[in-house]
Amino acid sequence: MKQEADHHLEVLLTRDQIQARVTQLAEEITRDYSGAGELVLVAVLRGSVYFAVDLSRRLNLPFILDFIGISSYAGASPSRGIVRITKDLESNIVHKNVLLLEDIVDTGLTLNYLIQNLKTRNPSSLRVCAFLDMPARRIVNIPVDYYGFSLPDLYVVGYGLDYHERYRNLEVVAALKDPK
Amino acid sequence: MAVITISRHFGSGGELVARLVAEKMGYLLINKAKIADNMRSIGILEPEMAYFDEKNIKFQEGALDREMERRRRRYLDGLHEFFYDLAIRENLVILGRGGQLLFRDFPPALHVKIFAPLQSRLERVCRLYNLNEAAAARLISEQDRDREAYLRQVFGCDWLDPGLYHLIINTGITGPEEAAVLIVTAARLKESAGEIPAKDLEERLLQQEAPVEITGLTTGVVHDAGGTTPDFAHPSEAEFACMLDFYRIKWLYEPITFPLEWDSEGTVTEAFTPDFYLPEHNLYLELTTQKQKLVWKKNKKIRRLREIYPDVQVKIIYGRDFRGLLKKYGIEEKGE
Repeated sequence: MKQEADHHLEVLLTRDQIQARVTQLAEEITRDYSGAGELVLVAVLRGSVYFAVDLSRRLNLPFILDFIGISSYAGASPSRGIVRITKDLESNIVHKNVLLLEDIVDTGLTLNYLIQNLKTRNPSSLRVCAFLDMPARRIVNIPVDYYGFSLPDLYVVGYGLDYHERYRNLEVVAALKDPK
Repeated sequence: MAVITISRHFGSGGELVARLVAEKMGYLLINKAKIADNMRSIGILEPEMAYFDEKNIKFQEGALDREMERRRRRYLDGLHEFFYDLAIRENLVILGRGGQLLFRDFPPALHVKIFAPLQSRLERVCRLYNLNEAAAARLISEQDRDREAYLRQVFGCDWLDPGLYHLIINTGITGPEEAAVLIVTAARLKESAGEIPAKDLEERLLQQEAPVEITGLTTGVVHDAGGTTPDFAHPSEAEFACMLDFYRIKWLYEPITFPLEWDSEGTVTEAFTPDFYLPEHNLYLELTTQKQKLVWKKNKKIRRLREIYPDVQVKIIYGRDFRGLLKKYGIEEKGE
């Protein structure tokens, strides 16, 4: 695998494996939401963009694609503060079916906040679809309704997941060894 | 108590050496049969154990599925706690399974690697399993690959790293009996050179908290769900409370102590106070910065807590998990 600087990348999921699984997920979601009313796909910026694009292209039902962004603890000042919405939805989700698209669910802290926030807007249903699930890292138990792959506790990059903004555009998912 | 760990290349006679050492020292040999007995007692049966025991678990279609990962974690947790619990009560000879890493910081442990040149291993495997040389070579290669991968996957270590061992013995030139005598002699010398009273050992180990020194720690003031600012026992707890605050998760710091053991007069002799309680999730969290190898007492307490209070949800966030969180959020950690 291509290496940048002193990182060693070990491919865990190939492009074909990812695309095949995303197709399966899209079929499952199409089946579950057919005739169920309006569907809003809410992609969480920025990691889930690649997943959202590939998944939504394969859905065989009408939907609205929208995006939400929240501040990260990583960028918070030493006084930390609280999470902020950096990009809000443009759609009204009241009485609509919402499917939240995440690149990865690990601790569940971010997802917990997003779910609480979206619930206050009274959608008729709210489910979660994560490209990757890392249950070994979970702190708060959050149900993940659909997931692409479940991985052990590894630092992974690619297909939207970054390390200091690098590797997002890889078409594969790779374990990043010894991130400095 | 004392522990001798024996890592072995397939076909080098490590199993026989381990048995001889256990007999000579009067130690309990922890081999596959003994592990299977324990695993059965926690509901992990033979086929599942055979699947995970010292095996290279490959990703299926690119990933372990969720259930497989959960089962493997359960197997490893059960195995490692079994070793740690037993080491408090018994002198052990542990064959393989990453013993050299699980007991890396355990002062009385002696770590041994047994190897032999390929030709010698081939001859031994052909003889023992009645195989031709090609089949024996394949078996050796598969088994070594599994063991190498197991150590890499579970501990992130290279089993050939000589720094993991006190002794490396070539049974191609010593033979199993001589190898066993070398190990016994080394163990006795080690014992006499640095005796540690058994009763003090556990406490000494538990005191070896790996200080997590963090730069860029929070300067913010945190308040629990009741609006009070707790007096945190460790800076990592304050940082964790900040994370929970950041994501608007309500928490309480050490709100309750669970009694775990009582004496004959009903006095509490052992108790456990989880660090955090998340009321919205009805979940207790224990944050530990102890090294992974030193957390068996906490694991034991949590197991006991689950036995006595089956409705209480409790999770332990290990040092490696917390350091992973810090890394994810770009908060630097200095040394260990």
